Amino acid sequence: MGCWQEIDHTADLALQVWGEDLPDLFATAAQGMFALVARPDLQAEPLKRCVALEALDVETLLVDWLNELLYLYEVTMAVLDEVDFEALSATRLHATVRGRPAATQRAQIKAATFHNLEVVTSEAGVRTEIVFDI
Amino acid sequence: MAKKEDFRQVDDYVWELPRDHDARMEVPARIYGNRRVFDMAFGDRSIAQLINVAMLPGIVKYAMAMPDMHQGYGFPIGGVAAFDYAQGIISPGGVGYDINCGVRMLASPLAEEDAVSYFDELATALHRACPSGVGGKGAVQLSWDDLEEVLETGSGWAKRQGYATADDVARTEGGGCLPQAQAAAVPDRAKERGRPQMGSLGSGNHFLEIDIVDAVYDDAAAEAFGLWEGQVVVQIHCGSRGLGHEVCSQSLSQLQDAPRRYGIEIPDRELVAAPVESEEGQRYLAAMAAAANWAFANRQVLAHFVRRAFEEVLAGRVSDWELQQVYDVTHNVAKVETHTVEGRERKLMVHRKGATRAFPAGHPELTAVYRETGQPVLVPGSMGTASYVMAGNPESMALTFGSSCHGAGRTMSRRAATRKVRGEKLREELKAQGVTVRAQSMRGLAEEAPLAYKDVSLVVDSVEGAGIARKVARMHPVAVIKG
Repeated sequence: MGCWQEIDHTADLALQVWGEDLPDLFATAAQGMFALVARPDLQAEPLKRCVALEALDVETLLVDWLNELLYLYEVTMAVLDEVDFEALSATRLHATVRGRPAATQRAQIKAATFHNLEVVTSEAGVRTEIVFDI
Repeated sequence: MAKKEDFRQVDDYVWELPRDHDARMEVPARIYGNRRVFDMAFGDRSIAQLINVAMLPGIVKYAMAMPDMHQGYGFPIGGVAAFDYAQGIISPGGVGYDINCGVRMLASPLAEEDAVSYFDELATALHRACPSGVGGKGAVQLSWDDLEEVLETGSGWAKRQGYATADDVARTEGGGCLPQAQAAAVPDRAKERGRPQMGSLGSGNHFLEIDIVDAVYDDAAAEAFGLWEGQVVVQIHCGSRGLGHEVCSQSLSQLQDAPRRYGIEIPDRELVAAPVESEEGQRYLAAMAAAANWAFANRQVLAHFVRRAFEEVLAGRVSDWELQQVYDVTHNVAKVETHTVEGRERKLMVHRKGATRAFPAGHPELTAVYRETGQPVLVPGSMGTASYVMAGNPESMALTFGSSCHGAGRTMSRRAATRKVRGEKLREELKAQGVTVRAQSMRGLAEEAPLAYKDVSLVVDSVEGAGIARKVARMHPVAVIKG
């Protein structure tokens, strides 16, 4: 089970994210990001979307993944933080995301950035640090 | 990690880190500001980010940080870097996600005492007329054809649609249009995001503000800018919304492979870049310029609805409420400019990330109105504190490629600010100071609390001391509509 922690950044927002494996890291990063963005209305009707992405490498895939979710948030205003991966490799993902409309909005994140981004795999699992532009 | 003693003090306002600090640096790095600004720069990672910029290929003279510098992602905020057009690079990370985020100022014919009883009503009318918030739809729904025209002509589209006067367009940086723009270079999804958002403020640190001019420092320039003590003015701060974010995000992902293909060493993946004249470089330039044009048109449409709100509230109550544009500046952009470097004219790609152009009197790119004074440099302070209007000085061209600060500059993270301040309490405190606030969220309000920013006076005094620009007027807010 992955976890995330917000870390200080002068102007923007940043998260440290840990996962047992790559799918766990990607799912936890999405949960952490949405926790910064909004809280869902638990009484509202749920909705789902499919996401399919290909990228040059795992860091680009992670950034594209989070930016895709931010785009979906902009058009659905839903906190799509429940993730099922049908496929996920270092360069390709196919996922179904589910969630409910936002009840209260918090930060507006413009984008996930590549700033000093590195996905590090070790015996303990996978970790990364992501800076978001606000 | 650079230390204070690694820097050479060039004069009272210039601090230089020599090129030999790191073998990868192509040029020295310079910080502009007095001793206090210099000391504050060591409070976060902005100097490490500035050093990274100094490593980019084709950079000319220095990697520079203005006095409002603070940590960003890729470039530091307040960062300025010029690259040789033929030999250098263009980097989306040197512009940022909010392409052509900028500030527009409108001057009213009203004195504070004539309008003070209407400020509350004006704040409500402005809040209603200028949609804000995440994903918020704009006041104007563009057709696909209109969107193409917006992307290629910016303020020109706004004028043809009746949202702008010829004078507004003349009083906008570059006439509100970057000529390199090509609608075809803008990704489809960016267009989908931009089409419904025209005429919207967005959120984050974006705002719309009614201010009172409370000090004039340069009578001649103030007269040329149409400013006088006691006057009611309006500031609009916003950018290219979802369209710009999408252009930047997609460009960064697409360019991740470019350094390998072009043999460019990049110290941070956010600084990914391509040669300006490469196919990828030209594609980004065309898309970025189109997003910038969308933002010019967006601020113009907002100005139109601000004027309408003034009319709605003030018609029949005061004799004249017509708002005249002072200027519109961009502070996140890369522009093709010609500068004299070591006695030779060079075509450069000037990146300003959280920095404002500050061209001086006589510069051929300035509108005739400001040819004698230098361009207005709009420097909004943090919420509830003073803002300044400055004018570009001749020295700015040699010092900073004609660039200045863009605001106060943060010193405290959003998280730290929300730990120290509650939005509701801040709103009450501002009310007690005579500042009406309309905000989307109380947390958002707390994040923008004045204590999270440098004192803007410290920043503008440094700009003036360095000779980049001179103070023309100071304003204080009376009503803030926060995105």
